[in-house]
Amino acid sequence: MAAPHPGPLLAGGEREGGGGLARRAYTLLLRPEASVVLVSVALVVYFELANQNFLSAANVQTLSQFVAAPVIIACGEIMLLICREIDLSVGQVFALAPFLMENMNDWGVPEPLAIVGALAVCALIGLTIGLITIGLRVPSFITTLGMLFLITGLTLTISRGYPANTAGGPLLVDIMGGWSYAEILWALAIVAAMHVVLRHTRWGLHTIAIGGNIVASAEAGIAINRIKIANFVLTSTLGGFTGLLEAFRVGSIDPLAGGSNMMFLGVASGVIGGTAIAGGAGTIIGGLVGGIMLGILQDGFTLQGINAFMFDIVIGAAILLAMVANIHLARLRGGGTQ
Amino acid sequence: MTEAIRAENLVKTFGHVVALDGLSIQVARGETLGVLGDNGAGKSTLIKILTGYHRPDSGRVFVGGNPVELGSVDDARALGIECVYQDLALVNGLSIYHNMFLKRELLWGGPFGFLNHREMRRRARDALEEIGIAVASVDLEVGQLSGGQRQAIAVARAVMSNARILLLDEPLAAMGAREAGLIIDLIDRLKSRGDIAIVMIAHNYAQTLEICDRVILVQRGQITFESPATATSAEELLDIVRREYRAARAG
Repeated sequence: MAAPHPGPLLAGGEREGGGGLARRAYTLLLRPEASVVLVSVALVVYFELANQNFLSAANVQTLSQFVAAPVIIACGEIMLLICREIDLSVGQVFALAPFLMENMNDWGVPEPLAIVGALAVCALIGLTIGLITIGLRVPSFITTLGMLFLITGLTLTISRGYPANTAGGPLLVDIMGGWSYAEILWALAIVAAMHVVLRHTRWGLHTIAIGGNIVASAEAGIAINRIKIANFVLTSTLGGFTGLLEAFRVGSIDPLAGGSNMMFLGVASGVIGGTAIAGGAGTIIGGLVGGIMLGILQDGFTLQGINAFMFDIVIGAAILLAMVANIHLARLRGGGTQ
Repeated sequence: MTEAIRAENLVKTFGHVVALDGLSIQVARGETLGVLGDNGAGKSTLIKILTGYHRPDSGRVFVGGNPVELGSVDDARALGIECVYQDLALVNGLSIYHNMFLKRELLWGGPFGFLNHREMRRRARDALEEIGIAVASVDLEVGQLSGGQRQAIAVARAVMSNARILLLDEPLAAMGAREAGLIIDLIDRLKSRGDIAIVMIAHNYAQTLEICDRVILVQRGQITFESPATATSAEELLDIVRREYRAARAG
C-alpha cells in the first residue's frame, strides 16, 4: 500500500479529467505493457540494423507464427493467474487436440464437427481439472502437473507414437491456420474477445476480485468456484484450439508438439506483460505484447544465426530480465502486491 | 419507535462450544446499538447469524416485526441487512466504484451483459456525496486509500445497496484518532437520517458510548448488562467485565 492519505477524505490527488497530462503520460509509461512495447521496438530496431531481413514480408510472417500460439495460450493462463491458479498441462492438451480431431474424423465424423468435438473434449479436461482442484482442494499446480503426464500418455497411446497428417478441405485448412496469417488473426481476435471479457464483464471483474481478496469476494457473494472452473475450461479449450491451428498450419500432427515449452511461453508472455503471479492483477493486452516480445527475441536470434546451445541461455536471460523489470516497475507504480 | 430487527433466544453451538446461549436483542429504526464483549463472547456469531452466514440452532429473527428465515447472505440482503466486516470486504486492486458495485454490477441492456462502467461511476460518486464522503476520484484503487477511507467506502457500499439494518463489525479497530473521527462522523450522519438501524460490534468502551444510543455487554453467549449509553460509563462497563473475569477465575 502506498502513501495512505490520512485525515480528510478529500485527498491531494488530481481530479478525473483535470490537468496533469505529464503525470498521466508518466503513469502510462510505468504500465508494464508500455515498457514491454518500448523494449520490443528497441529490439526490432536492433535486429533490423543487424540483419536487414528482419522487417521483410517473409520474416514478419514467420514472426507472426512465432507469436500467435503463445499469445492464445497466454489468454487462458492470464485469467487463471489473476484468480491465483495455473494450468501446467495446457501444452499437453495442445498436442492431444489434433489427434482427437483426427480420430473422430477417422470414425466418419465430418471435419468441422470433429474440430468442435475435439474442443469439447478439451473443455471437459479443463472441467476435470477444475473439479479436482476445487472439489478435492488440490492446488492447481499439482492437479495440472498430474494432468500433464496423464495427457502425454493419452496422446502417445492414441497416436501410437506416430505423427499423422491433417485432413479437411482447402478452405477449412486455410481458415484453421493453413493461410499464412490465419493463426495471428485468430490470436488477435481471441485477444480482443478476452480483453472485453476481462475488462467489461462480471466474469472478468470477479476473476480479478477473487485473486485480489478471496475472503472479500466470498463475503460479497461471488461464485468463486464457478469462476475458477470456467477459467480452467477456458484455458484447456484455448490450448486445444491452438494445437489445432498449429496442426493445420504445419500440415501434420505430432504427438510431442506443444508441451511444457508452449505452456511456459504462454505463462511468460502473461507475466512479462504485467500479470501478477500472485494474482489480482493483469491484462490481456499485456499478454499480447509479452508474446510479441518473446517472438521478436526468438525470431531475431534465429535470424542472427545464434548458436543453438546459446539460444536458450539468451532467451532465458531475457525472460528473467523482463520479469524483474516488471516487478520493480510495479513497485514504482506503488500498487499491487507483486 | 418502530422495531427494525429483533432476535429472540438465539442459541448456537459449535461442537462443545456454546457461542450463543439464549441471546435476544432488539433494535429500532434510527437507533444505534453497541455490542461489547471480549473475544469469544459470541459477538461475531451474533453478526453471522443476522447476516445469514450461520443458522442458529434455535431462536428466531424478526425484521420489521415479521418472522424471517435467514438461510443465506442473499436472504439477509434481500431484507435490507448489510454487514461491514472487520476484514474489510474490499478488493485492493479494484477501483472504488468497482468495489462499491462488487457482485451488484450494473450492466448495459442487451444479451451480453457488459459492465456499465459509466453508470457505476456516476452512482458511486452520488452515493459517496450523499453521505458526505469526498474522494478525489472513484477510479482510485482501494489499495491506495487509508484504513479510514476504506472503512468509509465499505460503509457507503452497504448504505448504497439500501441497507435498513447495518451491522458494523469493529469499524474503528486499528485506527488512529483522526481516522476514527472520520468514521464516527459518518455514523453520526447515518444516524441523523433516522431510517437505518445500526448494530455496532466494538472493543473500545469509550468510543462505543460516544457513538451508540444503547449498549449491551455480551459474555459467554448471554447479555449480562444493558443500558442507555448516557446512563453508564466506560468505568462501569470495565468494572463489570473485571468482576466477571475474577469470578470466572475463582470458579
